[in-house]
Amino acid sequence: MRNTLLIAVREFLDNARTRGFWFGILLVPLIWMVASQVPLLLARKGTPTRHFALIDTSADGRLGAVVSGRLKEVESRRENLRFREWVAPRLRSDQPLSGLDPASRPWERLQQELTPWMKDDAGRFTPPEPLHRRVALSKELEWRGDRGEFEARLRDWMREDRTFRPEGSDREVSLFAVAILEEDPASNAPPSLRFWSVNQADTQLRERMGEALSREFRRREYARLGMDPVVVDQVEKGQARVIGLDPRKAAGEERVGAADLLRQWAPSAFVYLLWIAVFGVSQMLLNSLIEERSNRILEVLMSSVTPLELMAGKLVGVAAVGTVMALAWIGSLVLVTFWMIHTSGAAALAPDSMVTRLPIELATLLGDSWLLPAFGLYFLLGYLFYAGVILALGSTCNDLKEAQNFTGVIALLMMVPLVSITFIPKDPNGPVATVLSWIPPYTPFVMMNRVAAHPPMLEVIGTLVLLVVSDIVVLWACARIFRIAVLRTGQPASLAQLLRWVLGR
Amino acid sequence: MSVALELRHVCKSFGTFHAVQDLSLSVPVGSVYGFLGPNGAGKTTSLRMILGMLLPDSGELSVLGSPSAMAVRNRVGYLPEEKGMYRTMTAVEAIAYFATLKGVSGRVARARARDLLGRYGLGAFADKKIEALSKGMGQKVQVLASIAHDPELVLLDEPFSGLDPVNQEVLEEVIVDLKARGCTVLFSTHVMAHAERLCDRLIILGGGRGLFEGTVAEARRRMPVQIRVEWVDPTQALESLPGVRSRTRQEGGIWCLELDSGASAAAVLEACFERSLRLRRFEVRENDLHEVFVHLVGPGAREATLR
Repeated sequence: MRNTLLIAVREFLDNARTRGFWFGILLVPLIWMVASQVPLLLARKGTPTRHFALIDTSADGRLGAVVSGRLKEVESRRENLRFREWVAPRLRSDQPLSGLDPASRPWERLQQELTPWMKDDAGRFTPPEPLHRRVALSKELEWRGDRGEFEARLRDWMREDRTFRPEGSDREVSLFAVAILEEDPASNAPPSLRFWSVNQADTQLRERMGEALSREFRRREYARLGMDPVVVDQVEKGQARVIGLDPRKAAGEERVGAADLLRQWAPSAFVYLLWIAVFGVSQMLLNSLIEERSNRILEVLMSSVTPLELMAGKLVGVAAVGTVMALAWIGSLVLVTFWMIHTSGAAALAPDSMVTRLPIELATLLGDSWLLPAFGLYFLLGYLFYAGVILALGSTCNDLKEAQNFTGVIALLMMVPLVSITFIPKDPNGPVATVLSWIPPYTPFVMMNRVAAHPPMLEVIGTLVLLVVSDIVVLWACARIFRIAVLRTGQPASLAQLLRWVLGR
Repeated sequence: MSVALELRHVCKSFGTFHAVQDLSLSVPVGSVYGFLGPNGAGKTTSLRMILGMLLPDSGELSVLGSPSAMAVRNRVGYLPEEKGMYRTMTAVEAIAYFATLKGVSGRVARARARDLLGRYGLGAFADKKIEALSKGMGQKVQVLASIAHDPELVLLDEPFSGLDPVNQEVLEEVIVDLKARGCTVLFSTHVMAHAERLCDRLIILGGGRGLFEGTVAEARRRMPVQIRVEWVDPTQALESLPGVRSRTRQEGGIWCLELDSGASAAAVLEACFERSLRLRRFEVRENDLHEVFVHLVGPGAREATLR
């Protein structure tokens, strides 16, 4: 027992001292942070102001006003949002914020109202540069009333990717788009938008303009048909009340909310973690064994400890590495989520929103549900299964190259649970999920994914017993192979030879 | 005389290959015992059986009074033929780790590791990682790791291979020190000079069998005595000299006489005087272990190498 512990401690420290271990620990929260922050950062800093021209051919210039109004509305909403992010860390946290509805006020007014609660050194908010800025066309591109002729000139100009200095601007800009708004006053046809742009990937401006024109057309048609646009607006806003109810929940709490969705999909995230943890630590185990084999350390070890002590020590040591990694991942995910929401300003201004409550819901979910115990249990049982196989096969290989022949096959087998991650939550108790649950190498991943769907108790216990029995068989076979193979040199053993060792022939 | 290690009629085969056949030996407590033999003679297999890593097919073993080395493993030290260490551990950590696996407490193991490294010239490298040490240094660290738990019996498989002459001397010093404190040392080697200098007793293996077991002097006596003689007047009389098995003429009129087993050089010299043979040279050549080794295992070892 003492030797098992000594080997386990050395194994743990050996892995914990590597850069790979710390990289592995930091990788998951880092990916989470990068995946959620980079698009926001790019949206904030990376997108330059795009300049566009608007040519309104309608008789009264009404279409241009509608489109400009809509773009202004979008821009002020963006400014408001940015203000919220700016103001959150500048508020004295002990001051009450109740009664403020940030969505209903422009930022200028909100800033005025919040001034008494803001820190002394808060400074003043500077609104961001607009995403789209309307500019007047240069003289050579001016609209002369003939669309065909104008578009011919425009096409040449835009193809050459030229720049110009708009009126009132101190620098040259390139033209992102030119929008031509048209309507036929003689007919009741909807207006049209001819949107010229060399950038076809950014469709945001085109969609917003199209949406504004469509809305305006509908409003006008309702009026023409004698319907009150205000009433129509109200009617259009009306939506059916959809209430999701879960019969398994207690009376009065049947309503399905965002927290329930989190509950349903969180296991899938845990399956990912489980997969990375099991696969990662099995690989560590293989590397460590191959190092000892190729450096001829095993023979010295074998003069001091029994093969079983050595095997158990390695299994425990690497399992501890995996456990620390998994716990660090789960903890850091909650912390990073909390930090992101706190710094975004949502926590200060909308304390009851789902976004704000996400880390709390996540923490509650981890504390209350079977997720963590299930994760721990299935990590242990899944790890023992794969580690047993890896140790048995790895003990017959002289170097990593030989071992890769085996690990390639194992990696291929391990792809099945990875592929099943997305479809199992949609039909967690369906035939595919049920069949996969009864295949021991897949049981940990599939059952972990089904945990929120409350699979039949018989299946839970049955698959668990089968998995435990499989682990015992695998470890027993592994021990038999290990004690023979570990001191052997030369060619790796064939499968028939492995079988003979297991059967003791 | 108490015995630290004893093998009685031990056999081990792998499939149809007989690695060790009917091997018997006895190693007295506190002695240095040589395990000599060419490649494939069964040295490593024998050592692995002594350590309990392999089980003999037949025969009996006694290691420090126990039928299984695993039962007394904390009292046994072992250096395998193929040397290796954890590359990322420091010299102190590596030695201490293996000592703790032999039952020594962590604190004592670290103190002993530093003491050993200092004593055998590696004090300055105690906190260096193994990967930063030269091959020879790493090998010395491994030797020290095999004795840091203060064992009663140390088994060293080819400990001198890969070491430069200076470090070979250091290793000889380690073995002498071990013997001085009452430890029994068994080491295998190809280099006869080490065995001649260090061993109280030795065994010569060939083809898995024990070809000779005894002291170095006894081994030397296994070879016929050779005398180099030179006569002033060449004569036929030397043919009638007693106990001479064969005679070969060499360059410069020198004859090499090989004596029968049990015949003495003094009797030959006396017979020369009796026959009034005028001698210019009479030189008795002492056999060294190398010749004994080649004489015993030579033909078989060559065949095994060529197979």
